[in-house]
Parts: sequence; structure tokens; C-alpha cells
Amino acid sequence: MAKKVANVVKLQIPAGKATPAPPVGPALGQAGINIMGFTKEFNARTADQAGMIIPVVISVYEDRSFDFITKTPPAAVLLKKAAGVEKGSGEPNTNKVATVTKDQVKEIAQTKMQDLNAADVEAAMRMVEGTARSMGFTVEG
Amino acid sequence: MKWTEIEVTTTSEVVEPVSNILMDEGASGVKIDDAKDFDNLEDGKFGELSGYIKKADIDHLNSGAKITAYYPETIFIPEILPTIKQRLGQLREFGLNPGNYQVETKEVAESDWATAWKKYYHPVRVTRFLTVVPSWEKYDTTVTDEKLIVLDPGMAFGTGTHPTTKLSLMALETVVRGGESMIDVGTGSGVLSIGAKQLGVGDVRAYDLDEVAVKAAQSNLDLNPVAKDIQVAANDLLNGIEEGAQIIVANILAEIILPLVLQAWDLLPENGYFLTSGIINKKFDEVVAAQEKQGFKIRQTLKMGDWYGIIAQKPGDDD
Repeated sequence: MAKKVANVVKLQIPAGKATPAPPVGPALGQAGINIMGFTKEFNARTADQAGMIIPVVISVYEDRSFDFITKTPPAAVLLKKAAGVEKGSGEPNTNKVATVTKDQVKEIAQTKMQDLNAADVEAAMRMVEGTARSMGFTVEG
Repeated sequence: MKWTEIEVTTTSEVVEPVSNILMDEGASGVKIDDAKDFDNLEDGKFGELSGYIKKADIDHLNSGAKITAYYPETIFIPEILPTIKQRLGQLREFGLNPGNYQVETKEVAESDWATAWKKYYHPVRVTRFLTVVPSWEKYDTTVTDEKLIVLDPGMAFGTGTHPTTKLSLMALETVVRGGESMIDVGTGSGVLSIGAKQLGVGDVRAYDLDEVAVKAAQSNLDLNPVAKDIQVAANDLLNGIEEGAQIIVANILAEIILPLVLQAWDLLPENGYFLTSGIINKKFDEVVAAQEKQGFKIRQTLKMGDWYGIIAQKPGDDD
């Protein structure tokens, strides 16, 4: 029989390297999940992507057991990958550190479409483009 | 240890850039509460997961989003907070609408959350004979052959309720005849060593790389009179261990089991058992292949959800 969901927790954390430290500890401790149980399972399932920040949605059931699914990496991570840089800029207005094309923005928007809660691809593209520019990326094309 | 929580209340539209800004300033991750995640849900079966959901019964935001990040004491908040606020203020210039956003900070102590889950943790019968009992609960056996493992899992692995622990305990129930010697590799909370003693195993040595786990295991052994003669120590897998045992049990991840296979082979006598768990389904074939290549016979595999346990035996004259 399907179990009733008591809580849903969404995090962005490093794949394969989750620890009981925040944000995992406070979020899951309050939800009644055994934190170490989660980190062990999460790290085992995401070892292949170790170190990459990935979103995870955790369903906490009424009996405090849990289940989770991982999503595609955040837009910022995909943008850095597309631009071939390790870091964005801390001063995005004045210090431009990378360039991405509109096509790359569109591809990322399509990849992330399900997770972005955007009304349509154009809205998703605007969110991805804004994220890119907030990281000191120039969007061309 | 104290942490500073920085919570940004804003619109769903800027969840991605705000998460990135908070992590740029030193957070190792973020928690996201987004009303739109719930807008897209319907009562009944829950998305890709196996549960069912009734939205009205779940605490959630009705509009906008909150992104929460935590910073350790080593990060100087008065230095990063203006940067975070400045970068949030710039989002409009990049074509995004953060709404009337707010930034709140507060201090949180580790103790606030590290023990919060305990109130949901109750005695649970994990196998045919074994029941795990939290140390803060009183529990009497309900049937004559029920054996108790009293635990305070603290910050170490192993509450006894996780499938990987259950599979290990089931494997022990299958092979233990009484009086055997055993090594527990990656003991965590000590749950398997205590369970083994309850099943009749003789001499037990328990090892863990993590000093926190060694202390947690020792505390748990002290809670269980049957486990008083278990030796627990810090050690990296079986490196440097020369005295063998008739059973070696390891509930650790597949990646760590692989280098352990040869060490276990060398320390087991003929007919000795190598019990492994913590193996996620996609790694199962690799772990079986490594054990068979070494010469182990796979006697039984156990499965629970996506997790596998393996009962392997070093062949004897009968093989």
C-alpha cells in the first residue's frame, strides 16, 4: 500500500558527499528523518556525480521513512559547464568572466524545464539567462 | 558548534540565482521551499515517488519561495551579508523579478537539529529474532525468542532500521550457529556486533575508520550487557589486522567493499563467511564479480528495495 507523505523537503547539496552538517541536518532533523540514514543512501546513489551540486526532493512518510529523487543539476552548474569555467563572478555587473550563447541558454532551459516551475520555454530561458548574467556571464546571440 | 542561518524570502522565479549566490558565499548547499513546487502537485499519487499526498496536510508556502543557507562560524557573516544583499539587489538588472525580497539571519545550534529526529524513533522488530530499541525508550520483549539491540545511534551510521542494516542482520541470522569469531568492518553504531552477540557469536572485534563512530559504538556496547566483551577500535578497513575470524561482516558502500575482498579472503579460514551489505542495485554485479573472482562462493543474495546483501563463503573441502 502506498504510504502517505507527511513532508516534502527540497535541497541542493553536493552529490556523493552529503554530511549531517547544514543544510541536511536542520532540514531533515526537523522532518524526523534519521540524518545519517539519508546521507548514506544519498551518497551511495549519487557517487557517480561526486562533488557536483544536485537538487534532491525528499518525501518524508508518516512513519518517518523516506524516499528521494534527484533532479538535473542547478542552472548555475550547467551554465558553468557550458561556459567551461569553474566559478562565476562575485561582481557580475563589472567583472564578466564567461560567455554563453542563446542556444546554450535554450538547451539548459529545456533540460531544466521540469524543475524550474516556468510557464513555458521562453520563461525558463529568461530565468536561465538572468541566472547567467547574475554570475557575470555575457549572453550572446 | 553554532551556525548562522540566512533565509531569503523571494519569488519562485529567482530560486536558481539566489541559491547560487548563497553557495558562492560559502554555503555547502541550500534548502528550497517553493510554492510553485506544490502548485504543480495534485492530491493522490505523489509524482515520481511511490507515496500519496494530500496537499492540505503538508506544511508549505502558499506563494513565493524561501531559500535557506547555513554558514559555519569560520565564515564572517558581517562580511558576506552585504555582498549577498547587493547581489540580490542586482537581479532586476539581469531581467529577473525577485519581488519584495527579505533577508533574515539567525543563529542555530547543532543540538537543535542533531537530536530532533529522535522523537520519531521507536523500537522496531528488524528481523526474525532481533528488535532494535532506542536507548531512551523502555521496551520489554513480546515473544520468548526476541532479542534486543539497545542503541543510541547518535551521529554514527546504523539505527537498525535501514535496509542495509536489516540485510546484514538477516545474513547473520542465516549463518550464525553459535560460538564463531567475527570481525565487524565499519561498525558505525555497533549495531551488527551487538546483534551478532545476541545471536550467539563468540569473540567479536569491531572496527571503524571514524573516531566518532568508535566512540558511539563503545557507548552502545555499554548499553548491552551481552556485548561487554566486544573489542572496538579505530582501523582503516582490515589494514594491519593479522588475526582472522570465521565471519567477517561489512555493511559499507560497494566502493569500499571492493578493496576489502582480498583482505577478507586472507583473514577467513575455509568455510568462513564474508557477509556484505550496503550494495546499491547498480553496483551489485560488480561486487559479486569481485568476490567470485577472488574465489568466494556466493551462497545467498538478499534484497530489500534497491539494496543488496551477499552471503559469500570461502570454499572448503565440500566444494
